Parts: sequence; C-alpha cells; structure tokens
Amino acid sequence: MELDIKFMIDTFFLALTGVPVTLSITAAALLISAPVAFFMAISKIYNIKILKQIITAYVSFIRGTPVVLQILIIYSLLPSLFNTIIRSAGWNINVFDINPIIYAYIVFSINTSASLSEIFRSALLTVNKGQLEAALSIGMSPVQAYTRIIIPQALVSAIPNICNLTINLVKGTSLAFMMTVKEVTAIAKIAASYGYNYIEAYLDILIVYIILCSLIQLLFSMLEKHFGSYRKLTGAAQKTV
Amino acid sequence: MLELINIHKSFNNNEVLKGVNIKVKKGDVIVILGPSGSGKTTLLRCINFLERADKGEIIFDDLHVNVRTASAADISKIRKKTAFVFQSFNLFNNKTALENVTEGLIVARKVPKAEATEIAKKALSKVGLSDRENYYPSKLSGGQQQRVAISRAIAVNPDVILFDEPTSALDPELTGEVLSVMKQLAREGVTMVVVTHEMSFAREVANHIVFMADGVVVEEGPPDEIFTNPREERTKQFLSRILPPVDDYVI
Repeated sequence: MELDIKFMIDTFFLALTGVPVTLSITAAALLISAPVAFFMAISKIYNIKILKQIITAYVSFIRGTPVVLQILIIYSLLPSLFNTIIRSAGWNINVFDINPIIYAYIVFSINTSASLSEIFRSALLTVNKGQLEAALSIGMSPVQAYTRIIIPQALVSAIPNICNLTINLVKGTSLAFMMTVKEVTAIAKIAASYGYNYIEAYLDILIVYIILCSLIQLLFSMLEKHFGSYRKLTGAAQKTV
Repeated sequence: MLELINIHKSFNNNEVLKGVNIKVKKGDVIVILGPSGSGKTTLLRCINFLERADKGEIIFDDLHVNVRTASAADISKIRKKTAFVFQSFNLFNNKTALENVTEGLIVARKVPKAEATEIAKKALSKVGLSDRENYYPSKLSGGQQQRVAISRAIAVNPDVILFDEPTSALDPELTGEVLSVMKQLAREGVTMVVVTHEMSFAREVANHIVFMADGVVVEEGPPDEIFTNPREERTKQFLSRILPPVDDYVI
C-alpha cells in the first residue's frame, strides 16, 4: 500500500483551513446552549411544575436520537420552514442563500443544550447545601449566593464533564459536511475525490482531530488546575505533615 | 428584642415543633438543651427562615411577621439582623478566610471594600486567626474553620448570633478553642442563642436555659436552677448524668 506523502502533506494544510469553521461551530454551540442549559438545570432542581416536564421530555428526546438524524431532519425541514415564514411575512430574502453554517449552529446548539443541562444539573447538586444556607444566613440574596458561591464551585467540579462534551462536540461537527458546511472533514474528502486518495485524506483528518482534541484537553486541564486551586487534594498528592 | 410565638413546624407528617415560645432579650446568652430530635435545631433554623415554620409569629424589634405570610423582604431584613454558625462550619470553599468574612459585608450590606477588609481583619484577630487570613478553608483545621465562621458572624454585627451545635464536630481540644471564643463574646455582651450539648458551657456562660423535648419547651430557667434542681421529670432524666446525686435515705 503506497501512500501519496506529498498529497498527504498538502491536504493536511488544506484541512487545517477548515479548523476555524469547526471551532466556530463548537464555540457557537457552547455559547448559545450554556445559558439555556443552565436555565433548564435550575428548573429541574427547583422542580418548577410544567417546565420540568417539558425539559425532561426535550432532553430525553434529543439525547435519545442520533445526531446524524437530527442533522438530516433539520437540514430538510428548516429551509422550507424558513421559506414559508419569510414568504408570508413578505420579506424578499432568498432562504437558499443562507450560509449552511447557520443550520449547523442550530443543530449543534440544540444537541449540546440537552447534554449540557444534565452536566450543569449534576454539578449544581454536588455543591453542599450548607454553602447556600451559609450564604443566605449572612444576608445574601439567592442570586448573589448562586453567582458568587454555588456556581463557581459547581463549574469547577463540572470541568472534566464539560471537557468530555467539548471533545465530542468537536468530533461531532465532522457530520456538518452533510449540510455542505466546509469544515475539516468536508475539505479533506473533497480534496481526496480528485485523485481517489481517500486513505491519505482520512489519515489527515484523523491527525487534525487528534491535535485539536489534545489541545482542548490541555486547555481544560489548565482550567481545572487554576480554578480548582482552592480544593483539598486527595490521596497521593497530599504532602504528609 | 426577639420573640417567637407559638411556632409549629412539620416535615411531611412528622410534627417537629408543637407550639414553641421563646423570648430573647439583648445581651442574653440562651442555651437550648435537649435530646436529639427534640426540635432544637429546627427551632433555630426557623428564626432566620432556613426552615419556614408552618404556623406562628416572629417579633424582631419593630418587625412583626406571621411565618406563613412573611415576604422575601421581611426574611431578608431578619437575616440581616442575625448571623448563623453551623455545626458543619459551611465556610465558602472557594474564598479565603478573609474573603469569607468580607463577603457578607461587601455583597449583602454594600460596605465598601476597604472598610469591609478592616472590619474583617479585626474580626479574624479577635478569634486569633490573623495569620491565616489568606488560607482557603480546605487548608484549615476544624477548629480554625469554626473560628472563621464565628468571625464571619461577628463581622456583620448582628443583633443576635445563632449557634447550631458549633462544637459537635470537633475534638475536645478544638472544642475548647471555639468555646473560649464564645465565652469572650458573651463577656462582651453579644446576644447569643446556642444549641449545644456542652453542659459546662451552658452552666458557665448561659444566663437562661431552655430544655426542649418532643417538640415542646419542657422547662426553662436560670442555669443554677436547671442544673441543680430541675422541676420536670424529663429534664431530670436528660440531665441525670450531671445532676448532683440524690442522697438515698433508707431507714
């Protein structure tokens, strides 16, 4: 089996041009779903009647269906839906000119918000109830107590989970090529189709994702060390007195 | 100054407080004694609405609330006049000792940072922890954490400090550390309501003892009365280990 090394190197750098697209989808999904997920987590924890049921159903549905399917459905449905709305509103925009990356933002935000809400919920539940009681007893309002005491502690314990989610999100964006979004996988595959150098292209895609995900893991590990410095170290890391 | 009238509280179907009345005057050191499950902690937590009582009234200086209809504003007012010291310390884990003490001042009472820091440093030196200002709670011993919790309570200058078994989680040495701080506060005239099992503290420092069992106040009075000659049988039974032995006259 011969590998076209020149092709591999060229395609590698070509694939790198797709990294900003990949990262933008990841960042958009995280930023949009974070407040939504937080709201959903709080609603579930505080047992807000109807809201809790709706949210549970939503999370269950999103997590229970493959991303591939969500992408196919959204990509088939949404453009025609937008078209109908825009037509009836009388605007003169051509729906089919919309950059498909918008659809990618939508699909991945919906998907991420479901998983992220459960991550936030479990993180909030790990914080000792006494922290909230102490904050309230000293005269802080619930909002102050949450933003200054509870959430910082919850986020630190959620970092490994959020890292997991982010890596899966980055890898998941490789499916956006189905919506003709020019991210890493799409670019490499297109380059491969000229000379049928699929194996080289696939290896390149692999390498790009490994580098990307390793950098993300490094980033989160630094975040955990910095923000978790107030915590007690357990086990071997503790110096014996 | 503070009065609780006819407080009732149930958890699910379990009635924990069955009509409790308590009066607190300025400068009082009130110790609430009683067996586990008697409702002492619940009563304390009802004062600053960590638990909301089902029935009853709370009168705090000029603030008169019915516990069922108390608004968030009323509760906030009461919480700003009180401070709570927990059995499990409950220091803010993500803040240093100094920040723990300034938090209530800066955030809840809008005290400017410089002034708050000064008050906090004074409070910490009062409990003997000036050298630990920048330590996180995870690096402090239990006794040190509880002393930071106490300085967090005194820094906001409350009308009354509520202590919920402050030394129950500490070994005898650390207990001594914390108790001597509390004795000092009592000497300075700080109003305190303390739930504790430390009988010697109750004897030496309290000026009023309230004995609770099964959700009601069984007996109350000054320490010398309660500890030498209690009237009720239940009180005698609870204190049997420390009451002076009754001479048995047999002819």
